[in-house]
Amino acid sequence: MSTSSRSPNPIDLVDRYLQAVRFWLPKNRRQDDLLAELGEDLHSQIDAKEEELGHPLDQAEVSEILKRCGSPMVVASRMGPQRHLIGPTLFPIYLFVLKMVVLWILVPVFIFIVGPVNLANANGDWSSAILNTMGGLWSGALIAAANITLVFAILERTKALAHHECKWDPAKLPPLAKTERKTSLVQTVCELGFQVFALVWLLLIPQHPFMILGPAAGFLKATPLVHAFYLPVVLLWMFSVARSASILAKPEWTWLPLASQLFQSIATLTILNFFLHAVTQTPTGMFPFVVLADSVRDSVHYIKIAAVVNVSILISAIGAWIGLSIATIVQTWQLLRHIRKNRSISHQAISAQAR
Amino acid sequence: MSPGSDQIGEVFENLKLELRRGCLTLAVLTQLRTERYGYTLRKALADDGLEIDEGTLYPLLRRLESQGLLVSQWREEDKRNKRFYRLSPTGEQILEQLLKEWQSINSSLNKILQEA
Repeated sequence: MSTSSRSPNPIDLVDRYLQAVRFWLPKNRRQDDLLAELGEDLHSQIDAKEEELGHPLDQAEVSEILKRCGSPMVVASRMGPQRHLIGPTLFPIYLFVLKMVVLWILVPVFIFIVGPVNLANANGDWSSAILNTMGGLWSGALIAAANITLVFAILERTKALAHHECKWDPAKLPPLAKTERKTSLVQTVCELGFQVFALVWLLLIPQHPFMILGPAAGFLKATPLVHAFYLPVVLLWMFSVARSASILAKPEWTWLPLASQLFQSIATLTILNFFLHAVTQTPTGMFPFVVLADSVRDSVHYIKIAAVVNVSILISAIGAWIGLSIATIVQTWQLLRHIRKNRSISHQAISAQAR
Repeated sequence: MSPGSDQIGEVFENLKLELRRGCLTLAVLTQLRTERYGYTLRKALADDGLEIDEGTLYPLLRRLESQGLLVSQWREEDKRNKRFYRLSPTGEQILEQLLKEWQSINSSLNKILQEA
């Protein structure tokens, strides 16, 4: 054994080790007691080893004993009291409230209210509007999470919900969830047929405005704003046809109807946002959607009809925006529920295989 | 998808820990029918094939003492202060009940294993 590895007093290592363990333990008298006992155990191990080897241990041999005991931080974590901010009883409620606030309140508010407002006030600088919205969402989520955690940590410490468990009533449990209805083949085929028919109708409108305006096509014509949004609407409808065809071809992809529906809703909502924003930019006194044909430009009667048509389109667009916003929230929830359900099934399958 | 060997190993380690947890308490209480200090208790358990590390044993002893099952006393022996533990009267009663429970579980388990 080399003399260089020898220390004048290798037992110092034990004291240094105990000092390091003490650093990670809460400072109270009980822990001093625990440390004294750990120190005694280590000294006993050293004594036993010295007796076995027949000579005092050197630094390397003492180190070996300490290494076997574990790093100071690990030992402290095992020896210290079990510490948690929110215990296992409150944790499911905490997680539920956190998800509710962040996913179902903050995210929709920022996507459907704060985001569009920022976009409307961005004066064309969309990237900074998106960044501002994302930044606001991030700060809002952090503040909400911190406050919720604080409230639950207080509830945990004060045991405010300790007696909640005794108060529940089996009669008040929610009714059994209905089994998920799968999309039928007939329904998908009908949807696809209707969508193809509607796509053809949509493609024929530029050449035959009568197909949408009826007799009014004789004196009304679409504005450049409507022409600008025609192509995105056609593309969206083509996506819808492709979606139904894919569902028909791959019925085993259970995620596809939900995911593609959500994508379609978000895309429609985005187009509607831009559309409504463009309407607000229309100069005062001008109709945004349809105007009078040149031949009847000065007729008061036709101007009134054009005004009614424009207001009707605007109200329909706003109604569609509100409806789609709600639908998007519901569809997001349905998709997340589907993903969670599938994950749970996969985990159960893995556990079953492991058994 | 079949679980990897790492995952199986982790599942096994967790289940082993759960299985050992209750057994360790019973073993410690049984050993402390005779007064011992921490190191000799660990050594006695290890000699009987039940290794227990310092970080597990000392918090367990504290918990059992705070539950009134053990009594302890710091005393000098071989020029060093050592904390000696032994079963309290309550601990003796509870150990008796626990051993009965253990024997009942053990015989049920043996029966189940034989049937399987």
